[in-house]
Amino acid sequence: MALIHRGIHRLGYARIALKDSRLLKTREFYTHEMGLLETGIEPNRVMFRCWHEPYKFSFVVDQSDKPGLVEIGLHVRDDIDLDNFQRKLTAAGVAVDVAEADTELKGLGKSIVFDVPAGPRIRLFADIQQLGYVSGFEGPDWVAPKAIRGTAAPLNINHVAITSPDPERCSAFLADMLGFLTSEKIVDEKGKTISALLFRMAKNVGGQEIAIYPGTEVKLHHIAFTKEDSSDIMSDGYFLKSDGVELDLLGPLRQPYGNTFSVHFFDYCGVRLELCAVGRMTEVHPEIQPVVWSTSNLREALSYYDEALVPEEFFMPCL
Amino acid sequence: MAVSRLSYLSIRALDLAASEKHYTEVVGLRVTGRSPGQVYLQAHEAQDHHCIILNASDRAGLDHVGFKVNDPNDLHEAEAGAKAWGLKTHRVAAGNVMGQGEGLSIELPSGHTFNLFYHSDKVGYSYGMKDPDIILENLNGVWPVTHLDHTLLAGNDCDKTAKFLQEVLDFNLTECIHGPDGNPFAFFLTVSNTIHNVAFAPGPPNSLHHIAFYVSDRADVIRRVDMLKHRKVATFDYGISRHGVAGVTTVYFHDPSGNRNEFQCGVYEASVVRNKIPPIVWAGENIPRGVFYYESAVLANFFEVVT
Repeated sequence: MALIHRGIHRLGYARIALKDSRLLKTREFYTHEMGLLETGIEPNRVMFRCWHEPYKFSFVVDQSDKPGLVEIGLHVRDDIDLDNFQRKLTAAGVAVDVAEADTELKGLGKSIVFDVPAGPRIRLFADIQQLGYVSGFEGPDWVAPKAIRGTAAPLNINHVAITSPDPERCSAFLADMLGFLTSEKIVDEKGKTISALLFRMAKNVGGQEIAIYPGTEVKLHHIAFTKEDSSDIMSDGYFLKSDGVELDLLGPLRQPYGNTFSVHFFDYCGVRLELCAVGRMTEVHPEIQPVVWSTSNLREALSYYDEALVPEEFFMPCL
Repeated sequence: MAVSRLSYLSIRALDLAASEKHYTEVVGLRVTGRSPGQVYLQAHEAQDHHCIILNASDRAGLDHVGFKVNDPNDLHEAEAGAKAWGLKTHRVAAGNVMGQGEGLSIELPSGHTFNLFYHSDKVGYSYGMKDPDIILENLNGVWPVTHLDHTLLAGNDCDKTAKFLQEVLDFNLTECIHGPDGNPFAFFLTVSNTIHNVAFAPGPPNSLHHIAFYVSDRADVIRRVDMLKHRKVATFDYGISRHGVAGVTTVYFHDPSGNRNEFQCGVYEASVVRNKIPPIVWAGENIPRGVFYYESAVLANFFEVVT
């Protein structure tokens, strides 16, 4: 007899598609400004990881005529988890496709993929190629490699934010089918959820792996990466600005919704990115209670500082 | 299911009033309960009933450690697993620990007692759970710690203890320190995505090395060291430092009973899928840099002083 952690263990990757001519510009941005490490290049694809991640990739950009969020990859423990999820989803009438190892993405093990109602496409996998830590496994300095200092060089992917025409339905599916829990949510006057921050991890820059915002259709809102703390966010803000990167919103902001300190900005192709710190320490436990925000306090929830922030503009998707 | 988080440490206090003052005014916790000879405290940004229990005592040190599980049936499974390992267990009645449901107490080979339980009463975040203004007033110069992060325990049979926690309670080994014989002697273990919820190093049975509280910014660690010095709280000789292990920013200090505390900031994320990523190894000449990165030297009293 033994206890065992089951289900989704971590956010594995975000995968987006951009129109073909943009891929070279994208590579330059993500290596020279974002400070990600390029780990795979194929004719129509480029893969990146953050310097603190031991796995092959956490961010994938495809060349495609259909730009958008392709899928969110979530890492489960083993094939038992994959089988359990496949059975549960199929029983609920969800169409599930299976991809053998290395067929969908090089370095990815066997995976199952499905569409979340009013939500993103999700791919679950148990195995992904390991490159090991860049700082090694023996007495590592845990310092960003010299080649990417002066760039944002985040430690990890943190969360993916999407817009949804039905945030309540989308978050209910993620909770019921995949075991996600809610750290914070925004409800309207009728008690309907218009936005939710969902998690499966308990990390120190935490509280969300998938953020759902209201919108007319399922689109990417932003992809967020983890930084050490708020001081880092400030210096990242002026490094990016001085390099001519377009900052979003009103510069660095404290966001009571999620309790983060962050800066949002756009890559050369208009993809919105976030560097974030702080956030909620969560617990994967059925009794955890979310913070609940009213739509009447929406502006204050989205930014503690910026009275000029317009929530409708904030919620605009990017891709 | 599984162990979901380090919940609390129940520790001993020589002078209960002095300890309460320390944990509220120096660490920045709030009092959430009292009973004769006991004070319960919690961080402002944690929602369970407590993360520290102070017990009036004639000595310093640890009473027991609380871990939560996320399924009530986990207590049966853990009980069977512990018995199969020949470890002593007993049930702890609901309410025996204030604000808490039934528990299962396991005596580890290291001499420490872990109390596993499912339910904690919710006190919520200090600023409330609905439309919170996230800034707290009247903190007397102490910006709150966000949560209890981890503890380092000292005891015997650390290797056997770490093995039990991995094999029966599904803890994940993230980093370890090896001795000259090539065998690990200190173990950093997690049930979450942080580098460690609990660590074990050799020492007298059932000893406490330190209790770590999380702060969100390195700048805040600096201000805290300034405040510790200003308030003449005994700190470890290095003042502010960085651990090579996990690369976190840190300062150590002592509560009035001599129990060591730590403020820590660092977002190291453990790659938690079990048995996929090998543990980081600190050995030989790397060890001093692993313990104190800048100084790359470990003063003898760092490991030797435990309560």
